[in-house]
Amino acid sequence: MGSSDERIVAVIMVGGPTKGTRFRPLSFNVPKPLIPLAGQPMVHHPISACRRIPNLTQIYLIGFYEEREFALYVSAISNELRVPVRYLREDRPHGSAGGLYNFRDYIMDENPSHIFLLNCDVCCSFPLPEMLDAHKGYGGMGTLLVIKVSAESANQFGELVADPQTNELLHYTEKPETFVSDLINCGVYIFTPDIFRAIQDSFTQRKDRANLRRVSSFEALQSATKVLPADYLRLDQDILSPLAGKKVLYTYETRDFWEQIKTPGMSLKCSGLFLAQFHHTSPHLLAESKGSRSATIIGDVYIHPSAKVHPTAKIGPNVSISANARIGAGARLVSCIILDDVDIKEHAMVIHSIVGWRSSIGKWSRVQGGGDYNTKLGITILGESVAVDDEVVVIDSIILPNKTLTVRVQEEIIL
Amino acid sequence: MKALILVGGFGTRLRPLTLRVPKPLVDFANKPMILHQIEALKEVGVTEVVLAINYQPEVMLNFLKEFEPKLGIKITCSQETEPLGTAGPLALARDKLVDGSGEPFFVLNSDVICEYPFTELVNFHKSHGGEVTIMITKVDEPSKYGVVVMEEETRRVERFVEKPKIFVGNKINAGIYLLNPSVLDRIELRPTSIEKEVFPKIASDQKLYAMDLPGFWMDIGQPKDYVTGLGLYLNSLRKKSPSKLAFGPNMIGNVLVHENASIGEGCLIGPDVTIGPGCVVESSVRLSRCTVMRGARIKNHSCISNSIIGWHSTVGQWARIENMTILGEDVHVGDEVYTNGGVVLPHKEIKSDILKPDIVM
Repeated sequence: MGSSDERIVAVIMVGGPTKGTRFRPLSFNVPKPLIPLAGQPMVHHPISACRRIPNLTQIYLIGFYEEREFALYVSAISNELRVPVRYLREDRPHGSAGGLYNFRDYIMDENPSHIFLLNCDVCCSFPLPEMLDAHKGYGGMGTLLVIKVSAESANQFGELVADPQTNELLHYTEKPETFVSDLINCGVYIFTPDIFRAIQDSFTQRKDRANLRRVSSFEALQSATKVLPADYLRLDQDILSPLAGKKVLYTYETRDFWEQIKTPGMSLKCSGLFLAQFHHTSPHLLAESKGSRSATIIGDVYIHPSAKVHPTAKIGPNVSISANARIGAGARLVSCIILDDVDIKEHAMVIHSIVGWRSSIGKWSRVQGGGDYNTKLGITILGESVAVDDEVVVIDSIILPNKTLTVRVQEEIIL
Repeated sequence: MKALILVGGFGTRLRPLTLRVPKPLVDFANKPMILHQIEALKEVGVTEVVLAINYQPEVMLNFLKEFEPKLGIKITCSQETEPLGTAGPLALARDKLVDGSGEPFFVLNSDVICEYPFTELVNFHKSHGGEVTIMITKVDEPSKYGVVVMEEETRRVERFVEKPKIFVGNKINAGIYLLNPSVLDRIELRPTSIEKEVFPKIASDQKLYAMDLPGFWMDIGQPKDYVTGLGLYLNSLRKKSPSKLAFGPNMIGNVLVHENASIGEGCLIGPDVTIGPGCVVESSVRLSRCTVMRGARIKNHSCISNSIIGWHSTVGQWARIENMTILGEDVHVGDEVYTNGGVVLPHKEIKSDILKPDIVM
C-alpha cells in the first residue's frame, strides 16, 4: 500500500452524560469534553493533534451526549480544520469497542487504510504521525500508545507487557490488583480496518460463551462480574487482552507527558501541560507581556482575545482566561482556569482554582486551592454564576452554581 | 496625688508581642499602653506613678525615663521578688504611696483601656466619705466575672459575687480604684488579692462605693480583646478629638494614621485601623480592624483584617492576613501568602500559607 492510497480516519470517544460525574459542578453546564483546558475545549486538543496526521479525511466523535450539545462546536471546528468533523450519537453506552463497531459503516465509508482511536480525556503530546510510522513498520493490526509510569501508580490504568525488541504487546490487564508492569495504556490507538473483524469475533465468542453458560447454571451463579449488555464491548478487556501475544498488536512508547483527565483537579494540571505544549504546536496562543500597557505575564498563559485584562494585573503561570472575562486592576491569577464571562475585581487573588462561567470575584477577595491535583478539595472550584463578595476568602472548597459567598469558606462543599 | 499601676508579670497572653517588650510598652493606638494611663493620671494632677512590676523593670524604667521629663511626672518602680497578687504590691509600695497628705491614691490594672474619667472618680470619692471607690462597668456575660452588688441609691457596695451562676447583676469591677491611705493598714505584705480578700472586707465594713464608668471599657490583655478595644478606643476618640482621625475617600470609619506613616494610592482603610510611625502602606492595600505597628511595610494589593502587624514587619504583595493573625516583631510574610490566624514569633519569614490558626515558633 503506497502512501498515495493512504486514507486515514480519526475517531475520538467522548463518552456521555452518565460519565464524567466526577467533573461536577462544572459538568452541570457543559459536557465534560467541552470544558476548556488551556482555553480550548478538552476534545479540541486531540482533534487539533489530528491535523498532523497525513491524508486525514474525516474525524468522528462518538458518544452518547445529545447531538445539540456538540453541534456548535463540531461545525466551528470543521471550518477551522478544513477536515469534516462529525458527531455520531450512540443511543446508549456500548463500550469503546462496541461504539466503534456500531458506526463501522460510517467509518469505513471513506475506505480508510488506518483508523486512529483516541480517548478524549487523555492529556499527552499525541505523537500521532510517529505512531503511524511505527505502526506501518510493525505491520500489525493495531498499535497502542504506551508510557512508563511509577510502579505505585500503574494499577490505576491498563498495565501491559511489551516485547523489548519487537514492541509486540505480550500481555494486557486492566487495573490489576498486583503489580504486572509499569508500562500502561495511554488510550490512543491506531488500527487497520481489521479491527472490526476482531470486534466481530469477540461478539461471536461472547455469544457462544453465553450459550454455554445457559447449560451450566452453576457457573452463571458463580459469575460475580456484573452482567453487561450483549452489545457492550470494551476495547481494553474484551479486545486488547485476548489479542495480546498473538502478533497482531504492538506498542509505541511515548516519552513525553501523559495524564488522564478524570477530575477537575487533573484538568487544571492538564491545562498547564497543554499550555506548555503550545510552545511547540501553537505559540501564537500564548500571551506575552508587552510592557506597561499590558498585564504582566508569568510563564504559560492563555488569554482569549475578547477577555479584558487590566494592565496592572499579574497573570501566571498556568492560567487560561476564556471569552469575555474581565480581570480588574491589580488582580493576581496563579494556576487557574477562568471560564467565560467571569468578572474578577480589583486586587483579587485566584490561585489553584477553576472559576465557573459568569462568576464574580470581589475586590481583595481570595479564591484559593492547595494545589494538590489528586485530592477532592485540592483545588477550589466555583460553579456557574457564583459570587464571592469583596474581601471574602474561599479556600479548598467546591461551590455549586448560583451561590453568593459573603463569609469565608474553607474545606467545604457548598450545595 | 499618687497612683500605682499593677503591671504584673510576663504578659503571656499577649505573646508574641510581649516577647519584645513588657506588656505595658506594647503599642495601643500608636502609643505604649501604659502611656494612655500615665497621661490621664497626669491630667488629673497625679505627680508620681509607681509601677508594681515583677518582670524586666529595667526595660520599663529605661523607656519611661524618656517620658518623665516630657510628662513632668515622677515614675518609679516597685519590684516584687515574688508575685504578690493584686493587693500585695500595695503593701510593698506603701512608703512610696504614703506621703502624709492623707490624699487618696489611684490603683489601676495596666490591661484596662477606657476614657479614664479620673476627675469624676475623685469627685465621687470625696462625696461619699468611704475608704474606697471602685469603678464598675456593665458586661454582657456577668457569669464570667466578679459581679458587684450594691445599694443603688447610695452606691455602697454590699458584696462581690465571683462568677455567679444565677443573675445577681451585670456590673463588674473595672480594675480602676481610688483608695484612702488607710486601706494600706488592711493589707499585709504577702501574696494576696485586692478583689477577693481586701475589698470584700471593706465592703462588709460599709466603706466601699462603686461608680459607673462612663464610656467604653476593655481588658486588652489578649489579642482578640486588643483589636476589639482598639475599635472602642477609636470610637471614643472620634467623639472627643475627631481631628486626630484620618479622613478622606479612602478611609472608612475610624482610622488613626501616624503623621510619619505613608499611604499609597488606591488603598481602602478602615474601619478601626491604626497605622504607626514610620509605616509604609503601599498602593491598593486593604486594611480593616487591624493595627500596624511602628516601621512596618505593607506591600501592594495586600489585604489585612482582624490582625496585628508587629514592629518592623513586612507583608508581601497580594498577601492576605486575617482572623487574629499576630505577627511579632520583624516578621516577613512573602508575596501572595495567606495567613489565617497565624501567630508568628519574632524574626520569622513566612513563605507558605498558614491555612488554619497555628503558632509559628
